[in-house]
Amino acid sequence: MTTYRVPGRGRVLHNRPVSFTFDGTTYQGLEGDTVASALIANGVQLMGRSFKYHRPRGPIAAGSEEPNALIGTRRGKGRFEPNTRATVQEIWDGLETNSQNKYPSLKFDIGAINDRAYMLFSAGFYYKTFMWPRSFWDKYYEPFIRAAAGLGVSPTEPDPDNYASRYLHTDVLIVGAGPAGLASARAAATAGLRVTLVDENSEPGGTLLSEPQAQIDGKPAWDWLSAELDALIDLGIRIMTRTTAIGYYHQNMIGLCQKLTDHLENPAEGAPRERMWRVRAKQVILAQGALEKPLVFDGNDRPGVMLAGSAQTYLNRYGVRVGDTAVIVTSHDSAWYAAFDLASAGTKIAAIVDTRPTPNADLVKEADARGITVLAGYTATGTSGRLRIKSVRVNKVENGKVLGAQTIACDSLLISGGWTPTLHLFSHTKGSLKWDDETQTFLPDRITEDCQIAGAGRGLWGISAAINDGAAMGAAAADALGKSVTAQTISVEDDRPGTGESHTELPTDGDPGRAKAFVDYQNDVTAKDLRLAVREGMRSIEHVKRYTTNGMATDQGKMSNINGLNIAADALGKKQPEVGLTTFRPPYTPTSFGAFAGYHKGEHFEVTRKTPIDSWAEENGAVFEPVSLWRRAWYFPKDGEDMDAAVRRECRETRKSLGMFDASTLGKIEVVGPDAVEFMNRMYTNPWTKLAPGRTRYGLLLGDDGYIRDDGVIGRLTDDRFHITTTTGGAARVLNMMEDYLQTEWPDLKVWLTSTTEQWSTIALNGPNARKLIEPFVEGLDLSDAAFPHMSIAECTVAGFPARLFRVSFTGELGFEINVPSRHGRELWEILFEAGQQYDICPYGTETMHVLRAEKGFIIVGQDTDGTVTPYDAGAGWAIGKNKTDFVGMRALKRPDLTADGRKQLVGLLTEDGVSKLEEGAQIVLDPNQPIPMKMVGHVTSSYHSDAVGRPIALALIEGGHGKTGETVYIPMPDKTIKATITSTTFYDPEGARLKL
Amino acid sequence: MTAHVDLNGACTLATSSAAHVTLLDPVARFSLRAGDGERAALSKALGITLPGKIGQCARDDSVEILCLGQDEWMILAPKDQSVKIKAACEGIYGDAPHSLTEISDREVAIQITGDKATDLITIGCPRDPDMLPVGEARRTIFDGVSAILWRDGKDEYRLDLWRSFAPHVISLLKTGCSELAAE
Repeated sequence: MTTYRVPGRGRVLHNRPVSFTFDGTTYQGLEGDTVASALIANGVQLMGRSFKYHRPRGPIAAGSEEPNALIGTRRGKGRFEPNTRATVQEIWDGLETNSQNKYPSLKFDIGAINDRAYMLFSAGFYYKTFMWPRSFWDKYYEPFIRAAAGLGVSPTEPDPDNYASRYLHTDVLIVGAGPAGLASARAAATAGLRVTLVDENSEPGGTLLSEPQAQIDGKPAWDWLSAELDALIDLGIRIMTRTTAIGYYHQNMIGLCQKLTDHLENPAEGAPRERMWRVRAKQVILAQGALEKPLVFDGNDRPGVMLAGSAQTYLNRYGVRVGDTAVIVTSHDSAWYAAFDLASAGTKIAAIVDTRPTPNADLVKEADARGITVLAGYTATGTSGRLRIKSVRVNKVENGKVLGAQTIACDSLLISGGWTPTLHLFSHTKGSLKWDDETQTFLPDRITEDCQIAGAGRGLWGISAAINDGAAMGAAAADALGKSVTAQTISVEDDRPGTGESHTELPTDGDPGRAKAFVDYQNDVTAKDLRLAVREGMRSIEHVKRYTTNGMATDQGKMSNINGLNIAADALGKKQPEVGLTTFRPPYTPTSFGAFAGYHKGEHFEVTRKTPIDSWAEENGAVFEPVSLWRRAWYFPKDGEDMDAAVRRECRETRKSLGMFDASTLGKIEVVGPDAVEFMNRMYTNPWTKLAPGRTRYGLLLGDDGYIRDDGVIGRLTDDRFHITTTTGGAARVLNMMEDYLQTEWPDLKVWLTSTTEQWSTIALNGPNARKLIEPFVEGLDLSDAAFPHMSIAECTVAGFPARLFRVSFTGELGFEINVPSRHGRELWEILFEAGQQYDICPYGTETMHVLRAEKGFIIVGQDTDGTVTPYDAGAGWAIGKNKTDFVGMRALKRPDLTADGRKQLVGLLTEDGVSKLEEGAQIVLDPNQPIPMKMVGHVTSSYHSDAVGRPIALALIEGGHGKTGETVYIPMPDKTIKATITSTTFYDPEGARLKL
Repeated sequence: MTAHVDLNGACTLATSSAAHVTLLDPVARFSLRAGDGERAALSKALGITLPGKIGQCARDDSVEILCLGQDEWMILAPKDQSVKIKAACEGIYGDAPHSLTEISDREVAIQITGDKATDLITIGCPRDPDMLPVGEARRTIFDGVSAILWRDGKDEYRLDLWRSFAPHVISLLKTGCSELAAE
């Protein structure tokens, strides 16, 4: 262990050493360390290279706001993650980490040439540098920008980890388990409420972890914390650590990302890595605290430069001194305490440099007593040291004049520009902020959700102020929920309240135009970039942000936004609120894709609906295709067959003898009630009044715009009961549309709709032997053509199963559709398949179904229609009841546009050569020799090889097509132009003789 | 791709120290729809008063009737009562028109029990389980799938799911069952 580790200090376990690697070197830390604290303990401050200039960087913070120390971590095969914050990642034996954005090594990086050429990379350099010549864009500039974009390397292997998610309902959700959060949790729980307390850190306590000197209710802070946590757990509070509230959404829905295994050496096999909690809270208390601001001056980014509060955290929480010789440059009292704590732990404080001419007298007295040099009314104007800071240059400022410099040697420079309330989540709610002149920061103003803001998040400073505000806000939340509780007063001794001043960049005696005074460390934005943006015409902070990229890195400007605003406002000569504030958006900190995906990966990626017969199809070698959420058997290839061969065989065998098809996915709706027939008349274009029970009819459903929405065969079971079938993809949509009309337009109708899609398994049998196959199995029904003609329906039993039997055909062959309760679907299928062997029964899939129906000119809604096709366009005018007074879409069908000549109409196409199969979607022209762009008159909607017809067939929508039968059209393709003739849409058995068996 | 699950008979789907997930045997199910005016007649015919509040359930020894909407009820009964229920409703159809539609095969039921049954429900269901009293049920969603969630006891739930969506839900319940046991 090195001299930077302070024996016995902090919350790390000094008797539990942990080994890990950084860039291939093994380091030892302690259990409880982060990568950053362990490396600092080993004297390593250099942890990365900056994004644009490749400047050497080390951690500037100790928490999730860290912009510099972004590393790659590897937790075994496939478990590489770039851009992990070294200040958050806990170490364990065997953890592998590496630095980023360097080549060939972290200490010598060729990309650092950018730092020398920094004048080229000023604000808006993308727009300027890469402007000319135009021809360079594709080959040089764009690849360069793409290569330079982003930090770290994307993982290349599939992520083997599991991710989980849960819903949580709680009365009060408290974000942040610091003094304010802890106190509000107790108040709300005392009121008997369900309370959830979350914190992104590995343990609760917040500031208390960094300020053990405080005495709370007479106990040392850490003793109080430990006892209080026990008490809160006894009160039933759910406490979640390593849990970041990433987003605050409408109506108190908060997303929490809980990290479960990244800190473990041996996570349980299969244990989820992260869990996304979707929380609905009746009240939210935001107790997120405040983030320290850096001071902006030349060289404020060297390794060894760190926020003073973070140095205090490294010392008190992790037992690590950040250096041997430290200089403090501050404009806030808080940094003085960091100096005192470090001095007590053995670090030499070379000087406390305060920008204020007269700092707090008590602090000066304490410094004097410790023999620490105090330089009041000073500025910092530069630093030296390549891979770690060696010295800082400071100058006295008098009457606005920067006087001569003195250089102070150091290995650590601790800076503080004051504190910014963390209002990211509040900002997600669109709650408004107001500028506070005294503290020079934005504070919460108008609250739009059921939430309270407690503690440093609303500008209160010191443990006493925060903890008592937390108790009050907890009581306020309880009060809002109708529970009364009196907030306890909590006494705090040895507190460290303080005040400070806010600055733009610090005054300098050098050329401000050459100063590398960083505002946004992660995106390498300097103060001069911001001033340049204003000089070049940017007026709103939103424009300045986009032009300079200030605050646009993954840290979302946690450190840079407020300094950026101060500088932009100064450059514009306006007050900060007039320049505006950018909006924070979820997530609060970078969140893995896995956490968002949750369980939805692999087999569980998305719902795949399967019919009861699907398993048979799978066992029998079916190839499947997705149809809406269903997967359907597409075709059943036999040995060595490709799709074309399999489909042609299935078509041939079905027309020759018998085919069987799983039609279970067809949507089914049962319409029941005394007004059922009236409802049917109003919904569908067809007339239903005279359809007798036991008969079926093809029904056409339009939208109120007159265009075809759905179709299907509908059976009338009794006077008051219809069995509707819909398209597979349209089932839910059609039911919704019907319910919509029923509930909003016709609530007077006594009719009710029930989805029965999944009640029935449907087996379609088609082919000349269809009746022969089922006749022996059917009881209670005469299946003869005379007794049960085409378009009939009956209830009967089939193979002993209760069934609804349709005589119907979507192929042009003799056809039946047997509906049996779903549980019997597969069993009946197997019985029929077995019995059908004598007829060479052929199971076929959706592709054959498509071919067979196209040969008959039956349309597929959504393939041959596209939402702009009327029944007349589709050649289905016959399906409109001529004497009907109303149905959905009837009025629209009379619109001039829908009755005009030249509408695209569905026709058949036969290619002239008799062998070319047209491409579905191909455009059609009348004259192939016209100049490009040609006038396109339509497109091919369906196209197949047809053995039954003996040549390829196609359906197409063509302008005025119904009047062009026999005319020639042309389909230009990349390699040739195909000539085709317009025909009827019925290619096969136009007389329908094959149905009359 | 969701895995195949045989849905035709009762079986254990997943079990752990946290929870037990069981597929229940099929029962007779009907969707009953009727207006306000017909409720009394239907209650009389069925011998059970149709509950009037959405989510409320009425039951006798063998039949459960759940109110799912202002004009919608779900009736569950042993298979052998199916004919009786149909006949009872048909008998009053003329005077009290309604829709009784059999959906016994549309849905399957999954029982979830065990110490962490409630936690398992929260893996997929966005409702607050504390707001679902024992003996009641709610139409809700589970992992994006429409479901009826019954609370039969403090740590005892039932999920009614449409048949083709059930394997997806079962897959998540299996994952959750072992995830909760490992906690």
